[in-house]
Amino acid sequence: MTKPLEPILTVSAPPHVHCGRTIKNYMAENLVALMPAVIMAIYIFGLGALRVMALSCAVAVMSEAICNKLMKREQSIDDFNGLLTGLLFAFLLPASAPWWLVTIGASSSIILGKMIFGGLGGNPLSAPLVGWALCRISWGEFMDTNATMLSSNLAAPLQQLKYFGLESIQTIESSALIMGEQLGGLGEVHIAALLVGGLFLIIRRHISWVIPTGFIAGVLITGWIYNLIDPTTYATPLFHLLAGGTIFGAFFLATDPAASPIGRIPCILFGLIAGAMVIVIRVYGIYPDGVPFAILLANLFTPLLDRIRPKPFGGPCTSTKINKEGVTCEKCCG
Amino acid sequence: MTKFSFSLHTGETGPLGKGSKPDRLRIPIPCHTPILAEGDQVLAGTKIAIANHDGSGDMHAPLAGTIKDILPYSMLIEVSGEDRADAKKAPSEGGTTLKEWLRDLGVNVKKMNRAATLIINAVPPEPGISIFDPLLRDYRKILELGLETIQRIVEPSKMFLVAAKGNRANAFANCTVMHVSPTYPNGLDEMVIKTVTGQETLPGTLPENTVILSVKDLYFIGRIMETGRPLIETVMTIGSQNHLVRVGTPVGFLAAEAGATPQPGDKIVLGGLMRGLAAVNLEQGVGKDTTGLHILREDEGLKPTNNFCIGCGECESHCPARIMPGMISRCAEFKQFERAETFHIHSCIECGICGYWCKAQRPLLQYIRLAKFELALLRETNGPSQPLIMEAETGQTGEKE
Repeated sequence: MTKPLEPILTVSAPPHVHCGRTIKNYMAENLVALMPAVIMAIYIFGLGALRVMALSCAVAVMSEAICNKLMKREQSIDDFNGLLTGLLFAFLLPASAPWWLVTIGASSSIILGKMIFGGLGGNPLSAPLVGWALCRISWGEFMDTNATMLSSNLAAPLQQLKYFGLESIQTIESSALIMGEQLGGLGEVHIAALLVGGLFLIIRRHISWVIPTGFIAGVLITGWIYNLIDPTTYATPLFHLLAGGTIFGAFFLATDPAASPIGRIPCILFGLIAGAMVIVIRVYGIYPDGVPFAILLANLFTPLLDRIRPKPFGGPCTSTKINKEGVTCEKCCG
Repeated sequence: MTKFSFSLHTGETGPLGKGSKPDRLRIPIPCHTPILAEGDQVLAGTKIAIANHDGSGDMHAPLAGTIKDILPYSMLIEVSGEDRADAKKAPSEGGTTLKEWLRDLGVNVKKMNRAATLIINAVPPEPGISIFDPLLRDYRKILELGLETIQRIVEPSKMFLVAAKGNRANAFANCTVMHVSPTYPNGLDEMVIKTVTGQETLPGTLPENTVILSVKDLYFIGRIMETGRPLIETVMTIGSQNHLVRVGTPVGFLAAEAGATPQPGDKIVLGGLMRGLAAVNLEQGVGKDTTGLHILREDEGLKPTNNFCIGCGECESHCPARIMPGMISRCAEFKQFERAETFHIHSCIECGICGYWCKAQRPLLQYIRLAKFELALLRETNGPSQPLIMEAETGQTGEKE
């Protein structure tokens, strides 16, 4: 019975059917969702943006390939995660970023953000944000979108709010912010394009609506509270939603599968924590845009939030309930 | 396989067909001790193996013939005819006497204890399995006889018939009909018990004061009472038709009857596609609990990979047992089986939905079963008196050796 007989059949444990979704498909559709913002970035920031994105993606993929080689692991670059990480990292950089900054950031996103934790799925923090944080802390002046893009006529809403107060942003139209006419990370500011991509991901069920909703609610509620305290000092919640990388963070960074919690209540809390931190950092922090650090901090809450679990089926198992025969032998005894 | 649907609607099924007579039978005896030797002649209905576990039914030869081979898990019978052993007479008293008589004739009576509530499960266990439909339609008399017999053992005060909305279900006397939404996994016993009693039963344990049996159980008990002959058949959905198939019929024979030619690399599934067992070769015989036959071509279905869990949470959001299959599979992957208990592995009802949705195509249910198996071995060596404390809230894995 155990000796092979022709034809040799495939055997495996159930289930024998699958929904057809793959990691590669998930990453590819994430890239598709970013395409509107890529086009907007090139349209608004010119070839400089294309240069940064191309270099970042190339370096990210190369770093992953080399890491896999050194770690003697199966090559994994064909799952597009390296490409996606590179593009997400580029979205956070100014279009004027020098080549060495892009190279260091993209490679550390992959190496420090992902590979040293064992590759995809092991990363406790959102990988592109690790690279961003490293660059922002080490070479702050090069990462400052306002200081490095003096030739641009675009407004830099968050920097103006931080350094010149509320009056300086009164002239900025919300419609201009939505269309991405603001200085910031080259991809993160195209609110309309990113919204289209984010909704695409939700409709395709690649991300759930819970984290983005929690994140945006966190930003709006916290922004509204500050605005209520003193409308002459603090900007409106809508401004905080449309300026900088709030939308980008809500749909693309906070939803990183490995670094975000699972379960509905943990996800809502995760979103609210991240959203609230955005405003807190923007109001009190030394960084004009709080989105990346807010999400990194919320990522650290993930293991804690994952402990919020519903009661398992049949209640927690205790010794009196276990029927050993039932567990081991129920299947084989007809 | 994106066409796969979780719907439990059976639609219109034809009459119950009778499987043809194969010339050899390979009878599965996974937990039985053979009582005959190679070369012995058997009649249809001769007892050939005794169950090793309390409550499991003994095994009988479905057809007359000669025992050709006895392996640890199966017995090969070369069929020569249909001469039958003498029928037995049912005892007039109920209770344990009747229960033991049924067990002796091959029925698994483990679940049939005295209880206040008796549930008859008429919900298809899995999508694509419609075995209950022709039984409920065409064999009402036998089902009623089966139900009467079970009542003599269980002596329930309340009876429920649970069916999927939209499927056929005519109540029996004194039986309340309940409907569940026709989606997998609502037909699994654990889910049906929850629907009726509102109580969740830890999988692998018997529910409190409740007995759940399927329409198929009723049918076969009714048949045994009517004929006095042992249980030697099962009802299987093959294609869209249902057939009465003799236990031990090789899957290759069934596939050929259905007009299919299995190619190398194909998968033959005994049972449904979510929970069924993959046949090891065409010689494997069907068991008493087999409910269906599916053939998956090499390029169809789940191709398990050794990808890492990416933590997307799809398995967790679809899990009817509200556990985290992804985390349990990680524990099993790194042999941290005791840690899997802090993620409530024992609540898993093994529906297979986690593996269906896994983006990384990990064999999640296989990991869960592996961990359960290893844990059972661990507990056995520790002795049954070893206290087992699982405090997920405090994150402790309990007492270890």
